Amino acid sequence: MNRTPQSGRTLTLTPTREDLRIAWLTALAIAIHVAESALPSPLPGAKPGLANVVTLAVLFLYGWRAAVWVSLLRVLVGSLLLGTFLTPAFALSLSGALASLAVLGAALALSRGLARLSPGLHLGPVGMALLAALAHMGGQFLCAYAFFIPHQGLFTLLPPLMTLAAFFGFASGLVVAAMLPHLESQPPRAAAAPEVQDREGLRP
Amino acid sequence: MNMPSQQNKGRPGGRARRRRNPQLSFRPSFPVSFPVSFRQALWRAFLPALLAALLLSACGQRQAPADPQVYQSRFLALGTLVDVNLWGVDEDLGARAVRVVEEELDRFHRQWHAWRPGPLAELNRRLAAGETVPVSSERLALLRRARDLSLRSGGLFDPAIGGLVRLWGFHNDDPPNGPPPPAAAIRDFLARRPTMEDLVLEAAPDGASGRVRSTNPALQLDLGGFAKGYAVDRAVERLLALGVRNAIVNAGGDLRAVGSHGDRPWRIGIRDPRGPGIIAALETRGDESVFTSGNYERFFEYQGVRYHHILDPRTGHPAAGTLSVTVIHRDAATADAAATALFVAGPQGWRQVARQMGIEQVMLIDEDGRIHVTPSMNQRLIFQSEPLPEVIETPL
Amino acid sequence: MTRADYGVAAATLLLLVLLYTLFWSESRAGFPGDGRAEAARIATADGREFTLPLDHDQILELAGPLGTTVLEIRDGAVRFLSSPCRGKLCIHAGWLRHGGEFAACLPNRISVAVVGPRTLYDSINF
Repeated sequence: MNRTPQSGRTLTLTPTREDLRIAWLTALAIAIHVAESALPSPLPGAKPGLANVVTLAVLFLYGWRAAVWVSLLRVLVGSLLLGTFLTPAFALSLSGALASLAVLGAALALSRGLARLSPGLHLGPVGMALLAALAHMGGQFLCAYAFFIPHQGLFTLLPPLMTLAAFFGFASGLVVAAMLPHLESQPPRAAAAPEVQDREGLRP
Repeated sequence: MNMPSQQNKGRPGGRARRRRNPQLSFRPSFPVSFPVSFRQALWRAFLPALLAALLLSACGQRQAPADPQVYQSRFLALGTLVDVNLWGVDEDLGARAVRVVEEELDRFHRQWHAWRPGPLAELNRRLAAGETVPVSSERLALLRRARDLSLRSGGLFDPAIGGLVRLWGFHNDDPPNGPPPPAAAIRDFLARRPTMEDLVLEAAPDGASGRVRSTNPALQLDLGGFAKGYAVDRAVERLLALGVRNAIVNAGGDLRAVGSHGDRPWRIGIRDPRGPGIIAALETRGDESVFTSGNYERFFEYQGVRYHHILDPRTGHPAAGTLSVTVIHRDAATADAAATALFVAGPQGWRQVARQMGIEQVMLIDEDGRIHVTPSMNQRLIFQSEPLPEVIETPL
Repeated sequence: MTRADYGVAAATLLLLVLLYTLFWSESRAGFPGDGRAEAARIATADGREFTLPLDHDQILELAGPLGTTVLEIRDGAVRFLSSPCRGKLCIHAGWLRHGGEFAACLPNRISVAVVGPRTLYDSINF
């Protein structure tokens, strides 16, 4: 097969249904992200993280891969909109998102395994949100410590930051739990064929 | 290769089942067009660039200094450790400024070194031989300055006693080991005691050079107690010429500070000569020098007696009664010479010498640990030790 | 909430308790802004430079052209404990604990500068 590009060959971008869905959800997450950045923050790094509600909802509705897309695109586009792209704020945001996605992936796998043992053992939105929030804060914190402020004193800030993260994580978990029943009655998601099996053992 | 699995990629609008084998989507298979999801395109075009950019920005951030607004450099020059702090300069100007300071101090050190073979040793040899030595205008200006300061100090700061310093063994990188010089040798030196008045300086008619001769064959120049200050002045001049407005040049503990640390003054800590730690803090104003002469700087001990390097030209012995003298004055050369002269003058005589030399801000710590200050100095010092030390303030 | 959710919530509480006991016990030295320095920048004769935290007590032996210089780090401060130089100026400098404080043993080519979040002194006069 000839792999070199030839004249007359065109690249057609055809948005799939999944592309569109992710785009819409990402847009929603970005809107929340940007709106939230306008809120005053008492402590650096302490924000409610409401955009994570969207990430979690996507996780439960469409699976982990979709959540990765929505979360990373949100971080990327959000930073471009706020003008923080490739600044420390962006690095912190990205490291938080990566850490929370990694933990969510692991938790999802664990949750499925546990659900096989006993149906009541799978993780619901609240547990997932807590884990995601703590991982998000932990990732941000480690990034800040490793790259920006390699200062022992920074660790004094860790307990209150983690407390805030736990609080907001719990709250957003409740929000997701309240949202999901309404979202799941929407018909279009049935088209997401490959993700169907991803959702098993996930329903709250 | 992998022909069968590529088939479904060509279906217009169809979903590529790339999830199980992402490799496949990188191979164009149909000649006219092939559909790619937006996210796939994003992966290809954007992700590598993003990763590269992240990596670069992370590398650039790693070396965060303690105070990012201060450009700091430490290096060896003038036979001591020199510490340069610059505020509000970029990396480029900072590097250039430090290079200029280093170059200036190095040049100075080579020219005026008191005992290594070099221009000063050569000058001393010819002066001792009774020759009239032609010198550049630059060197003439320095010698004139030293002579002037020496005369104003009543000869207590005396760069003419290089012979005495050598006698005591301080013309060496390491402090001397042996006994102090025999009393007869010191008596002999005092009998022929050279002073800066014996140094005759003449400017040539063209003004571009001059001549030096000595009327006392015992005269040997040693610019300790002056050279450091003079060199720091030259270094600061060159910094200002480069456009640096906020700087501290600290050569082995003696410094000249110009400008400020942005929105606050430069803060100087004065080390306690009586023991460890900082005795007082000081905020500099505008452009000024802080110089300290202490008996702990260079010394040797012999049979339990301590002999330090600040020699009293009147007795031929290390000056007694003082631990240290700190002087604040605009130019470093004057501050340096004054700190030496006031140290030699001691707790009794320092006020008179300070008046003669036009020095207003002085702190002298005597051998009993008492702190003598002038009123204008006392206003500026923030004493740090606990409990607060006894401070004796007397007007000049 | 599922049983696993309760488990996660309990684990979170446990984690928070652990964090507070670890980082908020009475030793809060090094809290940003309290003016105490937290690291010593040490340069040695062979041109190496490294930074050590001041909250870990330790004794350091550093080789120089004259022999071994011993540094002591204790209670958030650093000092020259012994040095083979003759002048002992470095030992005379005593404990260095504030950002900006600095001492060196020139003959043995070893210097120590204290770096802190808030510089108490920009330069030291002696």
